[in-house]
Amino acid sequence: MSRARAEQQTPTTGNTLIVMVGLGVTFLLFMAFLNVVKTGHLLNESNLLYAALIFYAGAGALYLGFGVTGTDSYVKFASVATWAGLAANTGAVIHRWYEAGHPPFASIYEMLLSFVWTLAVLTLVAEKKYGVKVIGTVTMPVAIVGVVLMQLLRTDVHPLVPALQSTWLHVHVTLAMLAYAACALSFALAMMFLIQDKVKTETFLAATSLFTVGVYIGILTRFEKWGGLSLIAWNAQEKAEVFLQRGVRLFVVVPDLGWLMLLVTLVVAAPFALYLVGRVKQDESFYTIANRAVFVSILLQVLALAVFLLRASSGQYPSLDAEGLHATSLAASPFILSGLVGGIFTSLLYLLLLWRRTDLERLLPTADNLDRITYKTICIAFPLLTLMIAAGAYWANRTWGSYWSWDPKETWAAITWLVYAGYLHMRITRGWRGRRAAYFAILGFAVVMFTFFGVTYLLPGMHAYA
Amino acid sequence: MAGASISIRRRIWQTLSSIKTGVILLIIVVILSAAGTLVLQRPVTEADEMQRAYSPQTLALLDTVGLTDVFHAWWFVTLLILVSLSIIAASIDRFPNAWRYLSRPYKSTDKPFRRALPTQTQILIPDEETGLVAAERSLHSMGFKPERVVGTDRLSIFAERNRISEMAVYIVHASLLLIFLGGIIDALWGWRGYVSLSQGQQTSIVGLRDGKKEEMSFAIRCDGAGQENYKDGSPKKWWSQLTVVKDGQDIQKKEIVVNDPLVYGGVRVYQASYGPTGKLDKLSFTASGRDGAKKQISLRVDQTAALDADTDVKLAEFIPDYVVRDNQVYTRSNDVENPAAHLVVTSKKSGKQINFWLPPIEGFAENEQSPYQFTVDDLKMGYFTGLEISHEPGQWGVWAGVLLMCVGLGFVFYVAHTRFWVVPIRDEKGQLVLWVGGTVNRNRDAFEQRFQTLTEKIKSEMKTVVKLPASSGAQVASLA
Repeated sequence: MSRARAEQQTPTTGNTLIVMVGLGVTFLLFMAFLNVVKTGHLLNESNLLYAALIFYAGAGALYLGFGVTGTDSYVKFASVATWAGLAANTGAVIHRWYEAGHPPFASIYEMLLSFVWTLAVLTLVAEKKYGVKVIGTVTMPVAIVGVVLMQLLRTDVHPLVPALQSTWLHVHVTLAMLAYAACALSFALAMMFLIQDKVKTETFLAATSLFTVGVYIGILTRFEKWGGLSLIAWNAQEKAEVFLQRGVRLFVVVPDLGWLMLLVTLVVAAPFALYLVGRVKQDESFYTIANRAVFVSILLQVLALAVFLLRASSGQYPSLDAEGLHATSLAASPFILSGLVGGIFTSLLYLLLLWRRTDLERLLPTADNLDRITYKTICIAFPLLTLMIAAGAYWANRTWGSYWSWDPKETWAAITWLVYAGYLHMRITRGWRGRRAAYFAILGFAVVMFTFFGVTYLLPGMHAYA
Repeated sequence: MAGASISIRRRIWQTLSSIKTGVILLIIVVILSAAGTLVLQRPVTEADEMQRAYSPQTLALLDTVGLTDVFHAWWFVTLLILVSLSIIAASIDRFPNAWRYLSRPYKSTDKPFRRALPTQTQILIPDEETGLVAAERSLHSMGFKPERVVGTDRLSIFAERNRISEMAVYIVHASLLLIFLGGIIDALWGWRGYVSLSQGQQTSIVGLRDGKKEEMSFAIRCDGAGQENYKDGSPKKWWSQLTVVKDGQDIQKKEIVVNDPLVYGGVRVYQASYGPTGKLDKLSFTASGRDGAKKQISLRVDQTAALDADTDVKLAEFIPDYVVRDNQVYTRSNDVENPAAHLVVTSKKSGKQINFWLPPIEGFAENEQSPYQFTVDDLKMGYFTGLEISHEPGQWGVWAGVLLMCVGLGFVFYVAHTRFWVVPIRDEKGQLVLWVGGTVNRNRDAFEQRFQTLTEKIKSEMKTVVKLPASSGAQVASLA
């Protein structure tokens, strides 16, 4: 069973990278401090966020550094950086809460703030409680993207419309975040289990490629229009989407971006196609070509992301529904942005597995332990999901007089609940363990992602709220 | 069982109560529910929106198949009922066993059981009593209540906790059924509708979702309503001052806001919206007579006021957004963009009517002939308050079910039925040992830890226990 080409590198002592990251962080903090001293306010929200960003970037660099070189000491310092980032992030959350007079859940800016904070907490919990030290390679880059995204969004304290002024909203949203975070953790643990359970690297190749293709097909089917990409129009002054009428958004068409996305989809599908050929012909050299194809697809995805960033953040485009040219913005396309970044990120994670599998297997807990920990995480996630649905129903009942109206969001939340109930049933009554349980956990998280993203962006109808 | 035929009834029961049936039914529910989110659903989506989204053939097909109103279709409801029946059947089928397990604990072990139990250990003891007392003390210190069990040929100890944990799964399923029951009750006997009231208006009839009307046993009157905005103009609060009127009496008053409804007689009245009716509430203006006398008047549309002994003025029309076309004054929209008021000044003696228009519209206004001139002071538009009214008798079942489920889940995940047995036996070498064994129905690794702790404790207790006479300290034994 030959693996795909793995890079052999002599492990360095690693001090160079640590020192460099330490210097970089200190330098950035110092510059920020100087800047801040000029304006006067030291501990305001944006400064704390900036500090958090610097620390998370340092942590992310160290985690990824470990990913590339395999040096263990990186992980230790990355932990320290994560703690520092969490402290700054907590400060930002407190500041925001105090300024707004309500917990940070009322706008997408506030949701991102809370989400990034939760990611940092999860990273540390996974390290301390479960001994999974590598999770930072996944969570820190996501946190960095989150903080960067926040800079695009409307930051002023948004007063709550009447329907959102209920305590039950805060209860429901908090429970939702905790539940989804636990599901995300169970997903990561299930993936790690599959690594430890000696699932072949080629299988991960196929899965990664298939997932990325799925994301891009999702973007294409929803947003592609005759070679262009349909983006939501954005009013830069008010930092809000442009509506034609109640519930109906105005879309502009950015030319040629659709062709680019189509090309990317094809290139991203290539590794999967090569994998299939390799399986059918029982020829493993195809896997090597497939791995090279992954590398090429990453480059192309990065190119697509760059073009998207450039085109979507500036420029006026025509619309099919209204006269004249309209502006769009990155803030109007969180789904596409997440898709692009997610695709690149997933492909990078696959390369990490490809090049550093033996190191990962050494650092991760045993397959048995991971199996048990996944189960325990779902034992936490399931009651949280139950409470989340119950709180949401109670809030809906108090506000709109109906605790269940088969709204797509509600229905998919119920489906998610059923899937995880299915996992527990299979485990408890049928004794499902190991791979079957891991696949089920992964399915559960896929449904969670659809409930969170897909319902808002992919389903028809007017229910576009997070 | 060769040759014996299983009756049809038995077969049906076996199928209904099997886990496989339950799983298949749930998968079907998931698929149909997902379809109900992918296809636009009829009562929620307006008809013209549906026609815009699908081609006529597609829409006709979807309507025929029923995919445009999945969640209220008879086959979906039947499916949910089947799921409930499957849960009930599965629970009834397995409950007797669980109950037997619960009501008749296995206190005295036999040799095959002791041989097979995965978690066990053996501790050397000098004599029976020392060992038993040490075990009792250790179990006590861990929060258990050990009891001495008199067997046919020996004394042993049995201790357990949280036996109720065996029932946990039934609690969870029962709670699910309770939630379903609440939902069914609401579907059959509950209703929801919408009412809009202007100030002073009252009604006891509610327009329901499907077009029907529901007559309540009491009426709701709106005594006032309003909206507060934030500095940026977005709505902060909508409120309505409501009174419940029954048999002509004012029974209850409440000011409601969004998230805080009025509750009376099982009916809840929610603040849903607030907006302009587009109609005038009151026009306040000043009438100046030729002699310079000024009079302040407020009129509703079609209301008349006396200006002096001889002259009346009536507000004949109010147009919020007027436009003149084809020699007629038309209303362009309901928004107050370009308002016009039409006053008719009547002389009682001569019967002459003069049309006074504000602003003076060419060709219609006869303002100069009027004995009085008018200027507008204030314009108050009419507002309505939108109320959602619902009657959901089944919701108590739902909330009770939710609470019960939380309890059940708590038991399922965090409360484990732990059992320990302590039996003095002779091992293969003929030595006297204390056989200690235990079992748990969940959270095995935490249990293994506790078993270790128990073993350590017994060993350390053995060192300190002084040999006691046989009759002291023994609890009342129970027959195994």
